[in-house]
Amino acid sequence: MDRYVFFGGKGGVGKTTVSAAYAHRCATAGLETLVVSTDPAHSVGDLFDQEFGDEPRSIDGFEHLHALEIDPQAEVSEHLSQVKRNLSQQVSAAMVNAVDRQIEMAHGTPGAYEAALFDRFVDVMQHNDAYDRIVFDTSPTGGTLRLLSLPDYLEGWIDRLMAKRRKSIDLFEKAAIGNQEPRRVMDGDPVLAHLQDRKEFFESAGDMLRNEAAFFLVFNPDSLSIRETERAIDDLAEQGLSVRGLVANRLTPDPDTDEQGRGARYLRDRVETERERLETAEQTLSPPVVAEIETQVEEIKGDRLARVGDALEINTSRPD
Amino acid sequence: MTLVDRIARFRATLEEWLRGLFHGMFSHPAYEKIESEAEDLEDEFMLSCFPDAFGVPSPISYYTAELLPYLEDEFEAWERRLWDRGSLVERKGSQYHF
Repeated sequence: MDRYVFFGGKGGVGKTTVSAAYAHRCATAGLETLVVSTDPAHSVGDLFDQEFGDEPRSIDGFEHLHALEIDPQAEVSEHLSQVKRNLSQQVSAAMVNAVDRQIEMAHGTPGAYEAALFDRFVDVMQHNDAYDRIVFDTSPTGGTLRLLSLPDYLEGWIDRLMAKRRKSIDLFEKAAIGNQEPRRVMDGDPVLAHLQDRKEFFESAGDMLRNEAAFFLVFNPDSLSIRETERAIDDLAEQGLSVRGLVANRLTPDPDTDEQGRGARYLRDRVETERERLETAEQTLSPPVVAEIETQVEEIKGDRLARVGDALEINTSRPD
Repeated sequence: MTLVDRIARFRATLEEWLRGLFHGMFSHPAYEKIESEAEDLEDEFMLSCFPDAFGVPSPISYYTAELLPYLEDEFEAWERRLWDRGSLVERKGSQYHF
């Protein structure tokens, strides 16, 4: 269970910090851990003061800890050029232009970014057997978590496409009278074969997400963030994916009791409202709050990760 | 040429004519109908694959674009059929060649 752990949440709530801290904790426990970041800002690189690329690279100064950064835009371009390469091999020059336009259009749709990201996610999940745990720091685009619900949705779609294709080929075969060659032949139809491949890809992705993945949502103690989290939980539940736990980040620290200055009063007020909000979150949201992390003065780097990691009450035991 | 031969030849010609007549009146229109039904289904398939050609955004077009290299004939025929499709009645009744 839980070979793959996803951290999601609104932008700026501290997903990268929490995922890195969690990964650090796993690595300390002796698991080979891979952090996968999808943030175009490459915040994992900043966190460790190291550059990461498309291939897993071990993080300097930490044992068992590796990182990889996905650039969704680059993935889209790569997919585009791959389809085009395939196109120039298959299609006559006269048709290339007309079909080219269609391909360009498909890669400009809002879904392309998400689809590319999803493909790469699944690719990483399928091809990294060396790691005991893979931690995904999902990018703040609202779609990233919803993206994980893609498999079911797309599988259904592909089923319908295949049914249509089969029916039309069947009729074409029946319409070929006598010795005429049918316009389309079912046997070895490349379109059906391709759709079947895709279908299997989505099936395996769906399986992995349902059976081997855990989802955590990071939030800050403000009402907007809590509402957003509630929506995310509902969205995921709709897709049959349950959120394992919530991580409250950026809690204001309590001032010492003997302090009475303006700053201390402000902090006390804040702590009070945040307490209330956290209670509401605990009551209204079904997943348990597994960690409460205080605001840090500086950016979290290096060994401070360990401290944050300790605050995470998430089981790090080895996945079976 | 004996009478038997002449009768045989006459019957052969008649048979050929009858077969041709039957083919022209019944089987061919029927096959045409099946073929146009197949084309309609194929158009439906193409439309489900590439709705953005009509400005309808589709979350799946990223994936269906992968099929385009194999859909050359279909794509061309699809465009042509879309251009000269008048009405549904005209399309569905085209086998009667009015």
